[in-house]
Amino acid sequence: MDIAAAGPTSPLSPWPDTVDWQPVSRDLIWVELIRWGAMAAMLLVPLGILWGIFGVWPLGLSFVAVLVLMLWRVWAIVRAVRAWGYAERDHDLLVRHGLVVRRLSIVPYARMQFVDVSAGPLERVFDLATVQLHTAAAASDARVPGLRPAEASRLRDRLTALGEDRAEGL
Amino acid sequence: MVIDEPRRRLHPLSPLLRSAKALVVIVVALSWQTLRQVGLGWFALMVLVLLIGAIIMSVVSWYNTGYHVVGHELRVYEGLLWRRTRAIPLERLQSVEVVRPLLAQLTGLAELRLEVVGGGKTEAPLAYLSVADAAALRDRLLALAGRSAAPVEGAAEVAGAAPARVPGELLLAVLNRDLVISQLLTPQALSLPIGVAFVVLQFGFDPSWSFIGVASTLTAIAGVLLQPVRRVLRDWNFRLSRDDTALRLRFGLVETRSQTVPVDRVQGVTATWPLLWRAQGWLRLTLDVAGVAGQDNADGTETDRLLPVGTAEVADRVAHSVLPGVLLGALTFQPPPERTRWFHPLARPKLGVALTDKIVATREGLLTRTVMMVPFARIQSVRVVQGPLQRLLGVATVYADTARGRSAALRDRDLAEAWWLAAELAERGRVARLAAPDRGRVVVPAPVLDPENAPLRPQPSA
Repeated sequence: MDIAAAGPTSPLSPWPDTVDWQPVSRDLIWVELIRWGAMAAMLLVPLGILWGIFGVWPLGLSFVAVLVLMLWRVWAIVRAVRAWGYAERDHDLLVRHGLVVRRLSIVPYARMQFVDVSAGPLERVFDLATVQLHTAAAASDARVPGLRPAEASRLRDRLTALGEDRAEGL
Repeated sequence: MVIDEPRRRLHPLSPLLRSAKALVVIVVALSWQTLRQVGLGWFALMVLVLLIGAIIMSVVSWYNTGYHVVGHELRVYEGLLWRRTRAIPLERLQSVEVVRPLLAQLTGLAELRLEVVGGGKTEAPLAYLSVADAAALRDRLLALAGRSAAPVEGAAEVAGAAPARVPGELLLAVLNRDLVISQLLTPQALSLPIGVAFVVLQFGFDPSWSFIGVASTLTAIAGVLLQPVRRVLRDWNFRLSRDDTALRLRFGLVETRSQTVPVDRVQGVTATWPLLWRAQGWLRLTLDVAGVAGQDNADGTETDRLLPVGTAEVADRVAHSVLPGVLLGALTFQPPPERTRWFHPLARPKLGVALTDKIVATREGLLTRTVMMVPFARIQSVRVVQGPLQRLLGVATVYADTARGRSAALRDRDLAEAWWLAAELAERGRVARLAAPDRGRVVVPAPVLDPENAPLRPQPSA
């Protein structure tokens, strides 16, 4: 299960010799945690109140179950953010993410249709932004969250420059 | 420098034809129920009122609709209150179709449909133009899109001749007999006797032969049979030919369509062997073209049929013309590793991946076998996905995404092999793009492989 010890066939870091994986900012952990916390609170608070009023055990059980699930999720978020990475190679962008279902996307610059840079309110508080690369294939999945705005603009500019260089029809 | 040509209107008969279409919709919307409730006279009146409304709307819409070609764009204007001008860049043109529904055939009109990338549905259907206009505009658009070999001659020739003539080398003509048999060998058609027996029994025990009862039953039976019948009507007289740059398909009985797809716009080809066709050794081929809508409608209206039914030999000839150097029979598929039998207890030996020097192919399905072929030059992105169960077995799935929105899934490959495949697809895609930035027909040498990291070897023919 440990990513670092998994060796060359690790699902998350293929080609360790040739690819220089960039991590995303650790602050993304906080963004994700707050997002998740808000959702969990919406579930936990009513459950807790109901348990307090009625005091029946199924409510208590579900409260504890949700709490345990939430704690596991916190642990998973921390690890998932650490697992998220991207690498700019000469001809393509690599993005890896996911912990339970692990995903790696290889998107050639030449296939880029447009680049999105977005930053939600929560991301802005932590000074983060998300870059997303779109190709003509809807299934392409090249989203890099948790970038510093400067890094995000650099990546965007680099991608558009490379895309223009190598652009072509379908 | 752009020469402004005058904006042109659609054919003056268009509003009437469109209203005739609306008539069907009106009758269906009012349904048998309404007919029974209000009686025939009122029903006719309701239809008439709605029809007159539809005609007025169509005339207004016709008056305000226009099109012209500006530089490398086709501009379509429409709308009275909400005006809309749509500019279609012709570089993005994926295929052009001339459609002639029954009424249009009787009146000598045709509808022109354009497919562009990113369109969820057919863009800018120009309904209706006269046949000569439609053919001329089609050839002009294709020429402007930079796909036609001899634009000027081609346009003149086709504009003069009837569009029924298919230019280029005729590759294939499907026998109507085979088409009918193939559609009889579908689950829907085979289940018909059961349905009829059921209805006959019901009327036998309860002979209340009301008009509504009979009509509703017939409607229900027609509903079941709709797909096979539609396929027969749609693919009737199927002709496929190709010239230097484009595939030309022509088919249809009630509604004839002639579709032109530039060969370098083909994103992939899928071969399907339905279970019931096994005895005949038949298969069908479908074409993946970016932007062609309706593939997954499941009502048989998909617009990308390449071969409705044919033997392996015919299919090879057709596939060969679209993806040069590909022979369906010559693809040798590598199944996923033994240990994945828990995922596919029966189908595992049927799954598989094959690489040639130009395409990647995946085979799936136990009963209905499908082979999906994607040229390297058309791969948009490559993904490797590993779920938790796959992690336990040390396998992963590699996807080759195409612009069509469908991905070739190379299921459950050994992890090392998956990485090798991903790297290989990305690299070969790049090489293929460099060698043929726009065309898919230039011979691309396969990149040098590292034999140590190559659990899946390329084909000997590569």
